[in-house]
Amino acid sequence: MKYDALVIGAGIGGMESSLKLGDMGYKVLLVEKEASVGGRMILLSKVFPTLDCASCISGPKMSSTINHPNITTVTYGEVKTIRRDGDGRFHATVRQKARYVDPAACTGCQECEQVCTVAVPDEFNSDLVARRAAHIPFPQAVPKKAVITREGTSSCTDTCPAGIKAHGYVSLIRSGKYEEAFQLVLDATPLVGSLGRACYAPCEAECTRGDLEAPLPIRRLKRFIAERHYATHDGPGVQPGEPNGKSVAIVGSGPAGLTAAWQLARKGYRVKILDSAPEPGGFLRQAIPVYRLPQEVVEQDIRNVTALGVEIVTDTRVDDLQALEREGYDAVLLATGTPKATSLGVPGEETTAVVSGLDFLRDVRFAEAPDLEGKRVVIVGGGNVAMDAARSARRLGAVDTLVAYRRGREEMPAHVAEIEDAAKEGVRFEFLVSPVTVVVDASGNVTGLRCTRMKLGEPDASGRRRPEPIPGSEFVIKCDLVIPAIGLVPDTGPFDSHVAVSRNRGIQVDPKTLQSEVPWLFAAGDVVSGASDITHAVGQGRRAAHMIDRWLNGGELDGFEALDDRLAAIDKAKVLSRQKSYTHRDPVKLDVSHVPAPRDFAEIEPVLTEAEAHFAAGGCLDCGVCSECGQCVATCPANAIDLSQHEQTFEVDVGAVVVSTGFKLFAADAKPEYGWGKYPNVITGMQMDRLLAPTRPFNTVLRPSDGKVPDRIAYISCTGSRDKTVGNPLCSKICCMYSVKQNQLIMGALPLADVTMHYIDVRAAGKRYDEFYEESKELGAAYIKGRVAKVTEKPDGNLILHYEDIENGGGLAEAEYDMVVLAVGVQPNREVERLFEGEPLGLDEFAYVAEPNDDLNPGQTSIPGVFVAGTASGAKDIVDSITHAGAAVAQVAAHLEKAAHTLRVLKEVAR
Amino acid sequence: MSTTREVREIIREEPLMHGDILRALSDGPHTVPEIASAIGKPSDETVFWVMGMRRYGMVVELAEPTDEGFFQYAAVKKADGEDEAR
Ligand SMILES: Cc1cc2nc3c(=O)[nH]c(=O)nc-3n(C[C@H](O)[C@H](O)[C@H](O)COP(=O)(O)OP(=O)(O)OC[C@H]3O[C@@H](n4cnc5c(N)ncnc54)[C@H](O)[C@@H]3O)c2cc1C
Ligand code: SF4
Ligand code: SF4
Ligand code: SF4
Repeated sequence: MKYDALVIGAGIGGMESSLKLGDMGYKVLLVEKEASVGGRMILLSKVFPTLDCASCISGPKMSSTINHPNITTVTYGEVKTIRRDGDGRFHATVRQKARYVDPAACTGCQECEQVCTVAVPDEFNSDLVARRAAHIPFPQAVPKKAVITREGTSSCTDTCPAGIKAHGYVSLIRSGKYEEAFQLVLDATPLVGSLGRACYAPCEAECTRGDLEAPLPIRRLKRFIAERHYATHDGPGVQPGEPNGKSVAIVGSGPAGLTAAWQLARKGYRVKILDSAPEPGGFLRQAIPVYRLPQEVVEQDIRNVTALGVEIVTDTRVDDLQALEREGYDAVLLATGTPKATSLGVPGEETTAVVSGLDFLRDVRFAEAPDLEGKRVVIVGGGNVAMDAARSARRLGAVDTLVAYRRGREEMPAHVAEIEDAAKEGVRFEFLVSPVTVVVDASGNVTGLRCTRMKLGEPDASGRRRPEPIPGSEFVIKCDLVIPAIGLVPDTGPFDSHVAVSRNRGIQVDPKTLQSEVPWLFAAGDVVSGASDITHAVGQGRRAAHMIDRWLNGGELDGFEALDDRLAAIDKAKVLSRQKSYTHRDPVKLDVSHVPAPRDFAEIEPVLTEAEAHFAAGGCLDCGVCSECGQCVATCPANAIDLSQHEQTFEVDVGAVVVSTGFKLFAADAKPEYGWGKYPNVITGMQMDRLLAPTRPFNTVLRPSDGKVPDRIAYISCTGSRDKTVGNPLCSKICCMYSVKQNQLIMGALPLADVTMHYIDVRAAGKRYDEFYEESKELGAAYIKGRVAKVTEKPDGNLILHYEDIENGGGLAEAEYDMVVLAVGVQPNREVERLFEGEPLGLDEFAYVAEPNDDLNPGQTSIPGVFVAGTASGAKDIVDSITHAGAAVAQVAAHLEKAAHTLRVLKEVAR
Repeated sequence: MSTTREVREIIREEPLMHGDILRALSDGPHTVPEIASAIGKPSDETVFWVMGMRRYGMVVELAEPTDEGFFQYAAVKKADGEDEAR
C-alpha cells in the first residue's frame, strides 16, 4: 500500500496534520495506538482561556478525521518500524492489534461492558475509576466501537489440556455468577463434577498467584459450581442441536467418549456410545476410588449426556469396527482407553495373590474387593494408579501397605498431592527397588516379594535417570498380596486388522485431526496417547468431535480453536510487574481430614462454602486481563465479538512521515514528598480535569478518600517542571494555565469551596491568558507565591501543606486542605526512539524530538522527509500544537512536491 | 480509615464487592463512609467500588449531598423489581 504521508499519533497535532494534508489532496495513513482518535485533548474538561468544552471542539475534528476521503485511520494500531529507502521514500511496518470486536458490526451499545466480569483501572479516567476488559474507551470515542483488553491467555487456561477456560469460570464466580460459571465449563465437557473432584489441576501448578502466597484452588472452585448446579437444576440446561440426520458411534464411555458425544449431540448428531463395562464412565467409574470421586457425581455428569438424547449401551464389547460402519454410522470414534495392565514379567506373577492395580481398583468399585483385614500388601509402581491402589488397600484393612518403586521419590510420576495424601494415610514407601520374583509357599500362597536394590544411571528417553540393579542386593519384602501398578496399555488387538497401531499399542491417528488411515474412523483419549489423565482425554474428545463434524460436512480438518488457536500465554513476570506490591491473602484452607488408618471410602475433601469460593476467586490476578468468560459474546446484540481474532501486520510505502506522538505526563510519585499514590486526596491536574469533565468518573468533584465534597482545595504548581531534582529544568508551559482554568471551573461547580494555588510564578503568556488569570483572582481564587516543601496527611484524610510564603515575610507556613492537586508537567514521549530503523531520529538534550532548524524551519527533524507536529517536540498548549501542526504540514507538502515523490507523480511516471 | 493498597488491586476486587455493597444498601441509600463501615472496608477503597458500580448503573446518587457534604448512593432496582444482590 502506498500513501503520501504516514502520520503517527492522532492527538490534536496528528489529526490537524492529517486533515490539512488530506484537504490538500494527499493520501494519508494515520496510525493511533489507542482505540480512539483524539489524544489527550478529548479527555479535558474545558480549554483555557475560552472555557470552551474540550470534547465539543475536538469531537467534530475527530469525526472529520476518520471520515475524510483522503485519510485512512488505523486505531488500536502501532507503527513497528520505519526505514528510509534509497529513493528517499519510507517503508513502514504497521501492526493492527486485535480488538476482538468486529467494528463494522459493533453499534457501541455498551451492553458488553455491563456484563463483563473483569475490572481494571480506566486509563482514560487517570485510574480514578474502574473500566471493564470489554470497553468503549470513553463516551465520545471515535470510532465508538468496543475493544477487549487481552494481553495473552491466562496461565491457568493456557495450561488446561481440556481447553477449559479456567480464568473465565474463576472470574464468573468472583462476580457471583455461579450458574454461568458452570455453563462455561459445561461448554467444554459434561464432566464438570468429576473434574471438580478428580482433576489433577495442572492449572493450579501454573497459577500466577502461586508466585505470591499460593495458587487459587481452581479445581475446588469447579467442584463448588458443579455442586451448586446439581443441587438446584434438573438437567444440564442445554438443548441438543437440531437433528442433522447424521449419526456417530462412539466406542468407549470414558471422558474422551462422553465429551465427544456431548459435543456431537449439541451439533445435532445422533450419537450412540457402546461400552463393554457394566456401567458407563470408563475409569471415572471403574478405577478412581470413591473417596476421591463419588459415584453419584459421575452419574450426574453422565446424565448431562443422556439428557441430550445420547444412547449409552453397556455390556457390549465392540470388536468389529466395520460392522458399525455397515450399520450405517457416518463416523466411528474409538475411545477405549487403556484397559490392560502391564505385567511385571517376573516368576510367580501368575498366582491369584498377584492382582493388577487396575483389576484391584475395578473390584473395589464394583464391591468385589478382597478383605485385606490384617494383610500386608505391596504395591509395585510409582504412578497415580499405585497411589489409588495403596490408599484403597488401607481402607480395606491392610495392616501394612508398602509402595515399592524402582526410582526415587523425585522421579515418581504420581501427583505430588496424591503421594503426600498416601503418606498421611499410613502408606509406606520403599524407593530404588525392583521386583525379581513373587515368593510363593508350598501351598501356593504369596509370602513375599523378592526385590533387588537399584541405583540411578544415565537419563533415558523420558529424561529420567534409568534405574540399574545393584548386583547382590536382593532381599525379600514379606507380604500377602502383590499389586503391580506399573503401567496401562490400550487393548487394540481386535482392531489391528482394520487400522494401524503405533509402537505404544495405541491407534495411529493424525495428532491434529485424530483421524485414522480409515477416513470414517477417528480415535481419541488414552487409546491414542497412552495412559494420561481426564483433562487430556476430554481435550481429545472435544478435538475428535470437532474434526468429525468438519469431516462429515466436507470441511478442512482444522480450526479447533479451543486448543490450537489460543492467544500466546501471558508472561507471569509481566503480570506480577503490573503492581509494585501485593497485599497478602490467606489461602482458603484445605480442610481435608486425613486419618492414619482410614477404614471407609467416604469422601475426604469438603466442598468450599460460598463465602470461601467467592473469597478464593477474589484472589485472581486476571493474568490475561479478559478472562474469556464469554459473557460479552453471549450478550452482544450485534454478534460483534470474536475472541478468536488475531492481530495483523501490514507494510506501507510512504513519501513522508509526521511524528505527532504527543507527551507523557510527569509521574507524580517521583515527588514522594507530595504524597501522591500514598494519600488518597492528593491527585494530579489530569485527574482533576477528569473530575471536572462532563464524562467525569464521579458524580461531581469528590474527595477520593471518602467521597466528600471538598471545601478547601490547594494547587501545587510546577510539580515535576523547572525542577532539577527530578531531571527536568524545563517549564511545561501548560500547568499554570490549566490550574487557573480548573480554579475557575471548581469555583463554578462548588461555589462554597475555597481554591488556593501555591506557585513559583504564574506564566500566563498568550492571547487573553493574563486576563484569564486576573479574572480568576477576582472570582476569589487565592494565589500564594512560594514553593511547597511537603504534604502530610491527618487521620481524617485532610492534608497539611508546608510551604514558603514569600509575599508575607518569606517564612515557612502551614495550611490545611481537604484536597491537593499537583499541577504536573509534561515530559517527552520516548516511544519515538524505537520507531526508526538504521537512522535514529535526533532528539534534543531533553529527549524531545529535535527540530535542528526550529527558528527557520519548525517541524523539520534530523531525517529528511520526517517531520514533527505538536508536543512531541516540546511542551505546547492546544493552540500552539495546532499552529505547529500547520507548520509541519507545510513542510510535508513542500517535501513531497520537491522530491516529486507523490503518488500522483509516481502514477504519471508509470503511465 | 485509608489504605495503601495499589489501585489495580482494589479495582480488581470490585466485582467481588458488588454483593456486599448492594446488601449494605438494601435498607436504603447511604454515604460512602456508611457503606464502608457496613462492609468493614476502608472508605477510600469503597469510593472506587461505589464509583465503578455507579458507572455501570448498579447504584445511583441522590440529588443533594448531606449537610456534612456526602452524597448518598442507592441501589438501582432492576426492571423485574429485584436488585443486583445475589
Ligand atoms: C491536565 C491537563 C490539562 C490541560 N488543559 C489544557 C487546556 O485547557 N488548554 C490547552 O490548550 N491545553 C491543555 N493541555 C495541553 C493539551 O492536552 C496538549 O497541548 C495537547 O493534547 C497536545 O496534543 P498532541 O497531539 O501533541 O499530543 P496528545 O494529545 O498527547 O496526542 C498524542 C497521540 O499519539 C498517540 N501515540 C503516542 N505514541 C504513539 C505511537 N508510538 N504510535 C501511535 N500512536 C501513538 C497517543 O496515544 C495520543 O493519542 C492540558 C494538558 C493536561 C495534562
Ligand atoms: S455489546 Fe456488541 S455491539 Fe454493543 S458495544 Fe459491545 S461489542 Fe459493540
Ligand atoms: S470474555 Fe468475559 S472477561 Fe472477556 S471481555 Fe468478555 S465479558 Fe469481559
Ligand atoms: S491468577 Fe487467576 S488468571 Fe492467573 S493463573 Fe491464577 S486463576 Fe488463572
